[in-house]
Amino acid sequence: MIEYVGENLLAGQIGNFLIILSFAASLLSVLFYLPTSEISLEMNSWKRYGRFFFRLHSFAMVGLIGILFYLIYNHAFEYYYIWRHSSSDMPMKFIISSFWEGQEGSTMLWTFWNIVLGNILIFTAKKWEGSVMVIFTSVQVFLSAMLLGIFPFDIQIGSNPFVLLREHPDMFNLPFTSNPNYLDFVEGNGLNPLLQNYWMTIHPPTVFFGFATTLIPFAYALAALWKKQYQEWIKPALPWTFFGIGILGLGILMGGAWAYEALSFGGFWAWDPVENSSLVPWIILVAAGHLMLINRTKMKSIFSAFALALSSFLFVVYSTYLTKSGILGETSVHSFADGLPGQLIIFLLFYLFIALFFLIKNGRQFLKKTEEDAFWSREFWMFLGALVLVISAFQITLSTSIPVINALFGTDLAPPAKPIEHYNSWQIPLTILVTLFVAISQFLKYKKTEVGPFFKKIAPSFIIALALSIVMAVQLDIRDIFLTTLLFTSLFAVLANFDYLTRILKGNVKKGGSALAHVGFAMVILGSVLSAGNKEIISKNRTQVNINFEDSEDANNENVMLLRNDTVLMEPYYVTYNKRRVVGKNVYYDMDYLKVNSEGKYQKEFSLSPFVQLNEQMGNVPEPDTEHFIDKDIFTHITYADLENLDSTAQDAYREPDTLNLKIGDSLFTSNSIIKLTQFERAIDKEAMNLQPEDIVLGVKITAKTLDGGYYEARPIMVIRGNNIFSINSKIEQLGLDFGFAGIDPETEKLKILLAEKNKNSGDFVIMQAIIFPYINVLWIGIIVMVLGSLLAAWNRLMLGKKKANSK
Amino acid sequence: MKKSHILGIIVIALAIGAIISTVADAATYADFSVAIQNPGKQFQVVGELNKEKDIIYSPKENANEFSFHMVDKNGNEQKVIFNGAKPQDFERSEQVVITGSLEGENFLAEKILMKCPSKYQDGEAGELTEITADSNS
Repeated sequence: MIEYVGENLLAGQIGNFLIILSFAASLLSVLFYLPTSEISLEMNSWKRYGRFFFRLHSFAMVGLIGILFYLIYNHAFEYYYIWRHSSSDMPMKFIISSFWEGQEGSTMLWTFWNIVLGNILIFTAKKWEGSVMVIFTSVQVFLSAMLLGIFPFDIQIGSNPFVLLREHPDMFNLPFTSNPNYLDFVEGNGLNPLLQNYWMTIHPPTVFFGFATTLIPFAYALAALWKKQYQEWIKPALPWTFFGIGILGLGILMGGAWAYEALSFGGFWAWDPVENSSLVPWIILVAAGHLMLINRTKMKSIFSAFALALSSFLFVVYSTYLTKSGILGETSVHSFADGLPGQLIIFLLFYLFIALFFLIKNGRQFLKKTEEDAFWSREFWMFLGALVLVISAFQITLSTSIPVINALFGTDLAPPAKPIEHYNSWQIPLTILVTLFVAISQFLKYKKTEVGPFFKKIAPSFIIALALSIVMAVQLDIRDIFLTTLLFTSLFAVLANFDYLTRILKGNVKKGGSALAHVGFAMVILGSVLSAGNKEIISKNRTQVNINFEDSEDANNENVMLLRNDTVLMEPYYVTYNKRRVVGKNVYYDMDYLKVNSEGKYQKEFSLSPFVQLNEQMGNVPEPDTEHFIDKDIFTHITYADLENLDSTAQDAYREPDTLNLKIGDSLFTSNSIIKLTQFERAIDKEAMNLQPEDIVLGVKITAKTLDGGYYEARPIMVIRGNNIFSINSKIEQLGLDFGFAGIDPETEKLKILLAEKNKNSGDFVIMQAIIFPYINVLWIGIIVMVLGSLLAAWNRLMLGKKKANSK
Repeated sequence: MKKSHILGIIVIALAIGAIISTVADAATYADFSVAIQNPGKQFQVVGELNKEKDIIYSPKENANEFSFHMVDKNGNEQKVIFNGAKPQDFERSEQVVITGSLEGENFLAEKILMKCPSKYQDGEAGELTEITADSNS
């Protein structure tokens, strides 16, 4: 038995106890809530115990989270999770990110938000409490089980965050595991450099908060089907649905902001599988919210309202499966590799089966009641909009699920080679429809609308949007017909909803939540069309021809090489690579953006410093830098840089010389100048050079001219002493060139010149990309407006519900 | 015909369309021998970088071309040309997934996904990096 020094085993033991407590308490809560699941306000001891165990579960889970934070904060690398996801040199904000980098931590984050919501539901669900909490808490049982880390019958259930480093299977029998003092030298792995970004501190909690919120409409819908209360569930579920739309929408777009700022793909959205799998539940939630709105008073398309309210959460679980099971493996940049696929599949199938069971069993009853909506009614167009959203979600899910399809059907499909084109070809036309419906539906009335007044009301926004979009399309040179149409429809949607807000609602903010959210949504789309659809890569390579790819119409020439102090035209700027700075782990490349002023001189407009973070363990990671203007962003990104020999001594060292065979009069390019062998030099003062009188000597004069007009000379000398030949080298320090003269071929009269350059001569270049994103601020402002609008709508629904309840 | 029937038909048609387009746009996993038999057709090949052979990137001549030799899972070796800058740390890669097609003698890659060795002893999946040639879209 080895006595290990410095381990904090108590924390882990408490943690393990809390995991079991949290699991058991959630299970007990379900069992006690079950007998009291009838829709009733009656308070009984079953319900009291149900609440008690839910709170006990909450307490255990919060304690668990506290312990994990405590361990990360204290760099307790004796725990595998802490070792793997953090290191001792990390600032606080990244310590927070380490918490959820791993699968156990992110499960805890999700569970945490469920606890917050569950404790609110206990107070607000009233007569729904029993049934809703049974469903709600059962999810907590599944989630808590994912932390158990036990192995009954050799089947792994859950993955425990308190596994010790020395006991982890990966470390089996490694030498350090038998060293009692291993903690003296063990250092954590640290956080993936891509995640070391402030967006990554706030994006995951927001997305998981949104994910957690989808459980509420799910629980209400399922409880309603179960207890055959087909209508009343909508009222309490609706505010949460709009709340979820706001929070999840915010979270997704925060992820976009992170991708835009920290990732190198040049944009905020790339249809990456992980992005997609968080977008789909949002789209479904939006569709569900709108159908619930139609059905809160009548039962017209109640079946679809149920189906969608149930689906959103199911897609959240599916999304968790996609990202955590490792099935996306080769298709996504940021899927987690380790996982518990089996457990997640059971989790998903369990709820899918229950939802389908009740939907089919009880859904038939109201399917027959469906009657047609009037064509000119708000509910018809809202229904249509929801339908388009479902198709959109279907298409995204289908293409994202290619690895799943392969696993199910044994096919050998690979994800689309050009994902952006593939998804856009569907999503742009569908978004055109959605924005069009968003534009008109506010002006339509429920049940029936007078057509004449409707057109009169909608006409101003239509005409202004049409005129504006034509002007913008011409000015921005947007040629694509779909993009131009989307430009128009999204502009139409912005204006129409703004018009509705100001003219019809007269700025009544309370009622304006939905109109505001629609303005915001349409601005997000408009901003995407303008910035992503119209982005301009200004780092076009103008000189180099791509022979292998010249036939391909989209041959890539977006990378430009810049030598240090080079100035290259990137319309409308001239860009100079000014300096390389090494600051800690980061290598910054200072790029000056210049414009030619009226006097014809270069004038610096701004500087950008994209950098490469050196990371021994996880690979070097480039991070872009962006200059923000009101009407555009200029994005700069290093695609390649020579990262060898970065420190200054190595920079000033000479490399191995190249042997050149040149005649007098020959010229040659070095990395920074043109050299020329001008003439032999025979008059050499041997004594001054400490040579012997009988030595045979021959010098050569080499001139070097730089592009900016510098002129330098070098005079290497060849010495023949007996049978030996050696060279007396001559350097040009300023250019980092070292010349040797090592011989001469009597037949060809070629001189053997040895040329060595300093490391920094050739290392000092970068390959970079520069992109202009026009009007991207429309997008960011749109997000804020949309989130505010959704939250306002949620609040308004909540108040409306209360008022009605009071008046009854 | 009722409106709901018309809508139903449209939705089904779109759903079928989505399925067809997913299959049509999907690349196929294959090895180099299949890619050689079907020049011009898009494939996704999984394999390893041959570190013995030359990895050529000379940005002074062309910053947007980079070539290397790759051995697929069945041991076929093929020269690959990538239309883009050389991915940082490419030599460190453990597994490479390329998407592209055979044109003439060479496999022209439009996308490279590389997996770097993880710092974990058991060779569990490391960090993935994706590099796409064109960001035109």
